[in-house]
Amino acid sequence: MDLAFSPEDRAFRDEVRDFIATHLPADIRRKIQAGDHLVKDDYARWQRILFERGWVASGWPKELGGTGWGPIQRHIFYEEIAYGWAPRLLPFGLHMVAPVIIEFGNDAQRARYLPKIASGEEFWCQGYSEPGAGSDLASLSTRAERQGDTYLINGTKTWITAAQWADWIFVLARTDPNAKKQEGISFILVDMKTPGVTVRPIETIDGGKEINEVHLENVVVPVANLVGKENEGWTCAKFLLEHERTGTAGIAGCRQQLETLHELIAHESIDDPRLDERIAQVEIELEALAFTELRTLAAESAGKRPGPESSILKIKGTEIQQALSELALDALGPYAESHLAPKYFNYRKTSIYAGSNEIQKNIIAKRILKL
Amino acid sequence: MDFTLSPEQLLIKDSVARFAAGDHAGTEKWPQFAELGWLAIGAPDELGGFGGPIETLLLMEQFGRGLVRSPYVAQVVLAGQILRAAERTELLERLVEGTERFAVAYEEPQARYDPAAVKTTAVREGEAFVLTGTKVRVLDASTANTLIVSARTGDEISLFAIPANAPNITREPYASEDGYDVANLRLDGVRVDAAQLIGPLGDGLALLDRALDHATAALCAEGLGLMSLMLEATVEYTKQRQQFGVPIGSFQALQHRMAEMFIEVELARSVAYMAAMTLDEKADDPVARRRGVSAAKVQMAKSGRFVGQNAIQLHGGIGMSEEYKVGHYFKRMTMVERLLGDGQYHVARYIASRGAAVTAAPDRDPVGASGSRAS
Repeated sequence: MDLAFSPEDRAFRDEVRDFIATHLPADIRRKIQAGDHLVKDDYARWQRILFERGWVASGWPKELGGTGWGPIQRHIFYEEIAYGWAPRLLPFGLHMVAPVIIEFGNDAQRARYLPKIASGEEFWCQGYSEPGAGSDLASLSTRAERQGDTYLINGTKTWITAAQWADWIFVLARTDPNAKKQEGISFILVDMKTPGVTVRPIETIDGGKEINEVHLENVVVPVANLVGKENEGWTCAKFLLEHERTGTAGIAGCRQQLETLHELIAHESIDDPRLDERIAQVEIELEALAFTELRTLAAESAGKRPGPESSILKIKGTEIQQALSELALDALGPYAESHLAPKYFNYRKTSIYAGSNEIQKNIIAKRILKL
Repeated sequence: MDFTLSPEQLLIKDSVARFAAGDHAGTEKWPQFAELGWLAIGAPDELGGFGGPIETLLLMEQFGRGLVRSPYVAQVVLAGQILRAAERTELLERLVEGTERFAVAYEEPQARYDPAAVKTTAVREGEAFVLTGTKVRVLDASTANTLIVSARTGDEISLFAIPANAPNITREPYASEDGYDVANLRLDGVRVDAAQLIGPLGDGLALLDRALDHATAALCAEGLGLMSLMLEATVEYTKQRQQFGVPIGSFQALQHRMAEMFIEVELARSVAYMAAMTLDEKADDPVARRRGVSAAKVQMAKSGRFVGQNAIQLHGGIGMSEEYKVGHYFKRMTMVERLLGDGQYHVARYIASRGAAVTAAPDRDPVGASGSRAS
């Protein structure tokens, strides 16, 4: 048993840290430090820089442009991204649709989509949830009717982050209305410029406009845009959800939040032992979770697939993120209405997205405890 | 980074698990422990010692799972680590052989867990010291031949090894709620000579502080064992118990509670390992050691309380019954939560040691990383 990172891993961390320090544009770093919203160009510029360094496609096979990192290196990279105040890489292309295309797509699809996902030339968004299908995703009602070599798609997708910037959307749609719930669904790629696709922003309680509703009205899509087999899209959907859950703990981000909180307390000369104690409690839980993540990573490095244990990281990670945004609000007391309240409001989303925390508890109960 | 156990570690785990699963109630198992080598964990090589905090964790986790009532933490980990750091090899050898047994008397009525809050005095009279004062909650004192007592020598604190039957010592033994052997101790002018000093004069607090961290980590491992068994028993029970014509484990309210218990057990597992590894890898850094171990105890206390209370709740009436095992695990967990400092005490200790670490370079080391980054 050995907890230390290997010398190679440490050297890799230094390399990433130095690269971020020297290559991250200063205006982007300032925005992140200030907690400002980023625009598309910020994400695109940063992705381009990392792309040129060969550092975007973690988790992809090396021959398709992947970084060739193991789980530990991937972990180190994302930690340093957070510690260095760099933007996260938007996951919808790189870490959601790309793994599905790699796993279930054909060669033509891999050649068409992957290079532009890696370079950031094309942005993606996720067409999963619907007004009537949230946690019960398989009850989705968007239809894709086969008409010769095309699908005719009708339906509404919602809660879509970054749809306003996206060039493509991957959509779960029902291709066999008579099949059982999970069985008649297909995974289809839709060009956002196709006639009949409209994006409507949804303003969130924090004033943000990063999520959207996407209407698909008589949208005609070539059958070549189907990934995997028709009516077997649920397999892709589940595969993607498991990918999505890993890394949702956001531990490095929480450490940044903590540091900001300590700075705030020092700056405002807040002297409140009760607050100190509440912060310490969250900090300790964060350490416990960070160690839990390392245990998961070590298991993954030893060849174990990420399993339902990742639900722990999702639940506790988001609870801690929320607790920290709450503590920042409480720390500032009467001045908290400033920029901290929107963050607190915004962070309520974390326990809802990527499979609500209640759904995660169902997963633990069923798949781990076998209840 | 590697969390797999070595073949030797697996062997310890399995042999302790076999013992813990068997009939270990009532009778004194010390000679057996000595024979199995368990008293030598953490001792130096020349005494036949082996392993360290990880091996202690493996043993204590299984003791927890089997609800083994044993003076191991107090007499082997706490006393042993004091003797080891003080380089009292001749005493440690007898401890490892099982021929002499040590209890550590450090806590006082006003101390609330703090080993620095010492009023007991050791006044020098020529070559000797005379000790006067009161010690409380001395763990496993009845079976000890020798008491290691902390006392004030001027501004500082020193440790003394005193035969348990020395004149002017009164032991008042009692059983704690979980049936453990505890005693209060009165020292009315107990005379010791300078050779009975453990470690250099005035080094008592540092010795105690370090050894208490080792013992606290061991308790965290026991807590992990207790909690994991309570969770398993609860899941099993809710699959069997039928109400409204179905197993109660099919109800979502109960499933979510058990999922939460599962998460707490996993966090507890993480901090138990974190504490052991901190002792292993940060042996020369008392600030990191205190921070890591106190963090572990805070989490353990919180998780243990949640798992214990809900294990009783989900069992319903049977959980309240003295005949059923879960209540006994809960009682032991409640004691473990408090022994050597409760959550309140350790959160304060964590905060204090965090402040001291601000100047430490942020190495982003897995152990205690967020603490060292805090400002």
